[in-house]
Amino acid sequence: MNRPRALRLLSRSPAPAAAPAALPLPTPGAPAERNMLVHAARDGDVRAFAALVDCYYARCLRFALHMLGSRSDAEEAVQDTFVRVYKALPTYEERETFEPWLFRILANRCRTIGARTRRRGELLEYGNVPDVASEGRHDDTIAWREEIGAALTTLPAEQREAFLMRHVEDLSYEDMAAATGAGISALKMRVKRACDALRARLTEVERG
Amino acid sequence: MVDDRDEIIERVAEALRPLPDVDAAAKARLLVAVAAERERDRESALRRAGRVRMLRGLVGGAGVAAAAAITTLWVRDARSVRPGAVTSTSVAPVASTVPGGPAAAGQFAATSEDAAASALRPVELVLRAPTAKRVRVVGDFNGWDGARAPLVRDAASGLWSVTLALRPGRHVYAFIVDDTLWMRDPRMPAAPDADFGRPGSVMLVGKP
Repeated sequence: MNRPRALRLLSRSPAPAAAPAALPLPTPGAPAERNMLVHAARDGDVRAFAALVDCYYARCLRFALHMLGSRSDAEEAVQDTFVRVYKALPTYEERETFEPWLFRILANRCRTIGARTRRRGELLEYGNVPDVASEGRHDDTIAWREEIGAALTTLPAEQREAFLMRHVEDLSYEDMAAATGAGISALKMRVKRACDALRARLTEVERG
Repeated sequence: MVDDRDEIIERVAEALRPLPDVDAAAKARLLVAVAAERERDRESALRRAGRVRMLRGLVGGAGVAAAAAITTLWVRDARSVRPGAVTSTSVAPVASTVPGGPAAAGQFAATSEDAAASALRPVELVLRAPTAKRVRVVGDFNGWDGARAPLVRDAASGLWSVTLALRPGRHVYAFIVDDTLWMRDPRMPAAPDADFGRPGSVMLVGKP
């Protein structure tokens, strides 16, 4: 089968960890537990910081992948983000919410790395659609995801960012405002324009 | 303005929400980068407190040359007494002289007591990992930067080894196997304060 580009790239990605059992770290789920981790990490508890990384790494990677379209760039953005989080934790204030704060740093890194990529004149090719259980999926599903990836790359970066924060990361507009520094009205407009553009393109695709 | 959720947008969000596979090596690199940052912070704090005056002197110029010389001699000795058998992590016998001798130590305007206390000691780390492609050691002595200390494989025995010049005292360290598996030295005591929740070992390097 001639597999689409996204899946071909994914199949080249490194194999899973040889011994994940060697890295047993807590994976807190509840917001209260995450807040405790943030506060412990701010007070210098490195284990708590590692647990925060475990807790948020995949989400951050998802956002960065959709923003940058490249696995290596996305991993670089996430690494830079957590290094900056670590350095900035002493200045983190309790009145802030951690998630928007984290996404603010991450979005900034994505903008910087995205700008660098554009300066280099590289094509932003959407080749790393997160894939779960792709084997056995119907070709139409794969084609649909490829179209979504292609449609995302056509959006202006600030619209893509707003759309992902709202509809994929499920941030509230208040949290998005904290993460981006933009006003809520402006963010709603960005999300609306992104939705309009995606809807127009993908409706065309569905009509064939 | 209301959210533009409709069937198409819901399907787009659904396609984008699955979390990507996390490359354990990328996450390990992230934690190493954060640990290195932490180590830089510690060194800065120590420098500010003026407690590394002697260490800086020994790391530069004649100190490095002397340490390299004594390390080379010791490695030769170590190899002569290690007939390819399985060996544990070995800490070099305590030397009776300061690397570079009293004159060299005097160049750095330190007392002989300071120099003796800070003299670099050769330490060999050994790990049996016959199937590994790459082994590195990270620890407080190299800023948790594995690039500085790759182990070399002995093809016949499957042993990986490296000899480091370390300050006397307590050191925490770990091996990174194939960029993925973070493991402690099985022959040495586990570190209760291993960085970032990863397993680590403790070694005590003796003073003259």
